[in-house]
Amino acid sequence: MTWRYRFAFLGIVFLFFLIVMRLFYWQVVKAQELSLIAQNQYGSTLTLTPQRGEIRTSDNFPIATNKISYLVFVNPKEIKNAGETSLLLSSVLGVDLASVSANLSLDKFWVPIKSGVDSQTKEKLEKMSLQGVGFDSQYQRFYPEASMAAQLLGFVGKDDQGNEKGYFGLEGYYDRLLKGKTGTAVEVHDAFGRPILARMNQATGEINGSNLILSIDRSMQFLAEQKIKDGVEQYGATSGMVGIMDPKTGQILAMAAYPKFDPRDFQDYSGDLYRNPFISDLYEPGSTFKPLVMSSAMDAKLVTPQTKCTICAGPVSVSGYDIHTWDDKYFPNTNMIDVIQHSDNTGMVFVAQKMGLDKMLDYLGRFGIGNTTGIDLQGEVSATLKPKNEWYAVDLATSAFGQGISVTPIELLSATAAIANGGVKMEPHVVSAIEDADGNTVGIPPKVIGSPINSGTAKAMTEIMINAVDKGEASWVRLKGYRIAGKTGTASIPIKGHYDPTQTIASFVGFAPAENPKFVMLVILNRPTTSIYGAETAAPIFFDIAKSLLGFYGIPPVGDQ
Amino acid sequence: MKKPALIIGSLIILVLVLSVVRIFISNQVATSGVVLGKIQTEAASLKTENTLLAEKLYTKSALTSIDSEAENMGYVTPKSDFVLSGQVPVAYKQ
Repeated sequence: MTWRYRFAFLGIVFLFFLIVMRLFYWQVVKAQELSLIAQNQYGSTLTLTPQRGEIRTSDNFPIATNKISYLVFVNPKEIKNAGETSLLLSSVLGVDLASVSANLSLDKFWVPIKSGVDSQTKEKLEKMSLQGVGFDSQYQRFYPEASMAAQLLGFVGKDDQGNEKGYFGLEGYYDRLLKGKTGTAVEVHDAFGRPILARMNQATGEINGSNLILSIDRSMQFLAEQKIKDGVEQYGATSGMVGIMDPKTGQILAMAAYPKFDPRDFQDYSGDLYRNPFISDLYEPGSTFKPLVMSSAMDAKLVTPQTKCTICAGPVSVSGYDIHTWDDKYFPNTNMIDVIQHSDNTGMVFVAQKMGLDKMLDYLGRFGIGNTTGIDLQGEVSATLKPKNEWYAVDLATSAFGQGISVTPIELLSATAAIANGGVKMEPHVVSAIEDADGNTVGIPPKVIGSPINSGTAKAMTEIMINAVDKGEASWVRLKGYRIAGKTGTASIPIKGHYDPTQTIASFVGFAPAENPKFVMLVILNRPTTSIYGAETAAPIFFDIAKSLLGFYGIPPVGDQ
Repeated sequence: MKKPALIIGSLIILVLVLSVVRIFISNQVATSGVVLGKIQTEAASLKTENTLLAEKLYTKSALTSIDSEAENMGYVTPKSDFVLSGQVPVAYKQ
């Protein structure tokens, strides 16, 4: 019996060993492969596309959000009456009939017809109960205020792999934050395709995009856009723009340009309109540049408001070039207050010569001229100042009245804001806070980036600019009862190496109320035709907007002066 | 000798109890897939409805649409504003 017992025992042990070996093979050697096969049988892996973050104005209204749209597709094999279905789809979706018919005749199970279809159109199609027609829901960027702040926002297009990507403006600059992080999920289901509670879905990695809260005031933006559009049409300009900033914080309150594009249908517009001209266009600022140079000279104690100009009796000759005033009127022994009031080019040449090149370059650098401002928008450019050895005497002279030097509007606006803010320059910013997907908000504090001039100089320059508004060429349009500091600008446009006298960039820069500025604003009109002067075109737009803004801030006029 | 037997006995009982509990819970949730499916569908449908309503709300409360609606209703932009002037400081008066 013993050998039988032993034989049976060894047999069982051997069989048991075989089972263990087989289990080892399946559970260890082939584990990963089998796991994947099993996963495909009982579950499906989904890519979780995060929702793109919203962009909200300061009143928490989303000017860029997401909406549900639908992709209409067909299964040609299920369609019974291809002719009628093609006709209905074509008329409801607004797609070419030939294209729909061609798609319906394909030997495929799934053919897309049109994407971005809204819910009303989808309902309309559903009511028709067309066989073989289906819908896939998808999220699409939605701009409730249509084209408002289009150049500021940018738009959402596709990248090389067909994924959403922000271009230009805020959509471009904050793309990484807005788009969030794609995740994956494994949905476990039973033989009938129903989800199984016992095996919870494993979702990993998906993080919705963060929301941007802007300093942009929606009503100010709306107002600025309306006024610049009206202004461009009224003065026959080719384009125009307005920027409004809080000088104390650097926060941009409004930034409008006209003409503009509709970010929903950006592909229908010229690519030139995508750029935000306020940060991407270089121009010669003309007389709006004078307050920067004059305040620099006063800060360096090279001139005072009462300093007499000794070369202002007639045109000034510099290196063989005659420099005239804009109206060929000359004021001998005029002081610096009147130089700004009359926008006297010869007076500014006097100031530049007092400063010399070293001081001029030093102060322009302090004001941020020649550098990008650091505004949080994609597409900002700057024209670097020429190296010192490439400056000629005439360059120094013309730069004092804003010709022969190029800046972006945002550069000039933030430099002027430094005068309004007691000599302290703030970094311009459009986003004031970022809210993550869990609702946690992180504020972006104002950032001081320098003090180009001292507060005493800023105060004196403010008074000079108030005088320019009250008694200068734009005094006809000033607001009575308010102390507003400002300066007109009429800059010739360089074309093929010379200045065209009939084409100008008309502008006005200023801030109000002068003692405690709530806003600093720059209005620019490109090539106005009714008048080439800033005092007759940009200034009326400036004061029109300023009047509404002062009412908006509840600041009443004092007296009637 | 008594103690190990007690521990082993307790462990066996614990294993049995836990097994029964597991079987019970598994049975309870085995059919919940249908309910879960319904909840998921309902959640998706509510989310869609919420997004569609938000879209309508944002469209209606957009300044551009309020402006055009106001124009259609006959509202016009005032040509002149009535403003109460502030008091002129004494020093300024003189």
